[in-house]
Amino acid sequence: MNRPLELVCPAGTPAALRAAVEAGADSVYLGFRDETNARNFPGLNFNHKELAEGLKYAHDNGTRILVAINTFPEAGNPAPWHRAVDCAADLGADAVILADIGLLDYTASHHPSLRRHLSVQASASNPEAIRFYCNAFGVRRVVLPRVLTVPEIAALNREIAGIDVETEVFVFGGLCVMAEGRCALSSYATGISPNKNGACSPASHVHYENQRGKMVSKLGAFTINQFHADEPAGYPTLCKGRFVTNGKASYLFEEPTSLSAAMLLPELQAAGVTALKIEGRQRGRAYISQVVTAFRKALDAIAAGQPPPPLDMSALTEGQRQTTGVYEKTWR
Amino acid sequence: MQRSPDVPPLSPVLLAGLALRPFPVVMLQPVLDAVMLIIHRRHPDVFDRLSGFQNPVFLIDPIDLPCAFILTPETRNPRVVAVAEYDPKTILETADAVIRGPLMSLMDLLEGRIDGDSLFFSRDLMIEGNTECVVALRNAVDGAEINVTEDILALFGPLAGPLRIAKKAGDVIFSRATQDLAFLRDAVIAPSMHRHAAIESQLHKLTEKIDAIDRKSAT
Repeated sequence: MNRPLELVCPAGTPAALRAAVEAGADSVYLGFRDETNARNFPGLNFNHKELAEGLKYAHDNGTRILVAINTFPEAGNPAPWHRAVDCAADLGADAVILADIGLLDYTASHHPSLRRHLSVQASASNPEAIRFYCNAFGVRRVVLPRVLTVPEIAALNREIAGIDVETEVFVFGGLCVMAEGRCALSSYATGISPNKNGACSPASHVHYENQRGKMVSKLGAFTINQFHADEPAGYPTLCKGRFVTNGKASYLFEEPTSLSAAMLLPELQAAGVTALKIEGRQRGRAYISQVVTAFRKALDAIAAGQPPPPLDMSALTEGQRQTTGVYEKTWR
Repeated sequence: MQRSPDVPPLSPVLLAGLALRPFPVVMLQPVLDAVMLIIHRRHPDVFDRLSGFQNPVFLIDPIDLPCAFILTPETRNPRVVAVAEYDPKTILETADAVIRGPLMSLMDLLEGRIDGDSLFFSRDLMIEGNTECVVALRNAVDGAEINVTEDILALFGPLAGPLRIAKKAGDVIFSRATQDLAFLRDAVIAPSMHRHAAIESQLHKLTEKIDAIDRKSAT
């Protein structure tokens, strides 16, 4: 019999954390209010006091807290990242989510009892990479990058069956179409790195203009898109920009859309996945509450041997569109 | 049917705003001052989360009201002031950012009933100017669990209970009025929508014909 799937939910503020716990999250992941995590957005994230209070609230309600420290330390300045790990350990976090091998080594040697998860930012997508992270740093869970089909995930889980490691996959939210942790598009446009500074398309470099009824979005010096009055909008990311080539405007990499693998949950469970992750630490608590409630119902139905109910969350998605993304990849 | 982002919805708010247009906006100021004082007292963390910015100024424009609001969320002395009008072309010379949307959407956002990104995707929320300030304000407000009604009712002590019941009755009336106006709007625009659908269908057929001609000439 399959184990129940663990629902891992985002929180960008203490209020969002409470919303996630109330809606039925098994685990909540969050980050500190600095460049040590990949959602370093203005007004978002937790200071040490808020994390301590959040940990108590979550643990009192039987929910685990995973602290994302998943950016890559600045060369010659690892101290903020080390302090973040020390703080997570001291306050009693249930796990840290890391990407950098130096930080993994620091955590393994200074806090051996602190559970270590490998962030999607490490982009470990094959058995050899996963085996290395487990053997070298005692990683207990790997968040798989969004580049694998469900059969590929099943094959991967079979190949790592001999290792004491779990896999976690994204099932809803923002969809990164690049090699995660290695994309430099936003860095090129803004000088700020998603992987080192923690913000893809940082708000400080984003501008919106209303031009004769159209909304034009710009990132730094680059025009990313222009949306007609009756067209749903998307995030101002280069990978989902609409650019003019050969006189025609089109989406070159990916259209504004969000991942929803709600109907693939039984297949993901059968593929040996341990945990399902919802993206969106930058989203409001209304999003957290709605999405977590919907997935909680779906997982409870699966645990009871029933098919998951249909979940329509298009109103919450980028461009008001959903995709199963690479899980059902048909173009390769 | 998708509404143009700049066109206000036909709602009780729009009608109430039009009815109140003859009155000077300065009459709103004592109420705004009281509400801001309460929010500052009960949710100081909102202003703490914005403390990294140099006194940002926001122009908040509920598109269905005949006035807008200038918000200066200073840590010690936050203030909101009503203005009857502003020049959209020059407003960003005095304000850091402009936030536009229907009043009820802005209230839902303030009280965390709706997600800001979702409002942005649906084009119900428009922003211009310093995006970083807007994102910080959105995150700070969302994290504060503001409930304007409850914050105000808390001032009334034992009267809060009866006032809460009155508020609920008012919500029911408002909800019914919103539905009725939407029904009225649909009835009024129905003939135009039929014509629109017919033109769209003709346009679609013409586009298909042109595409077919293009393909033929390409081969």
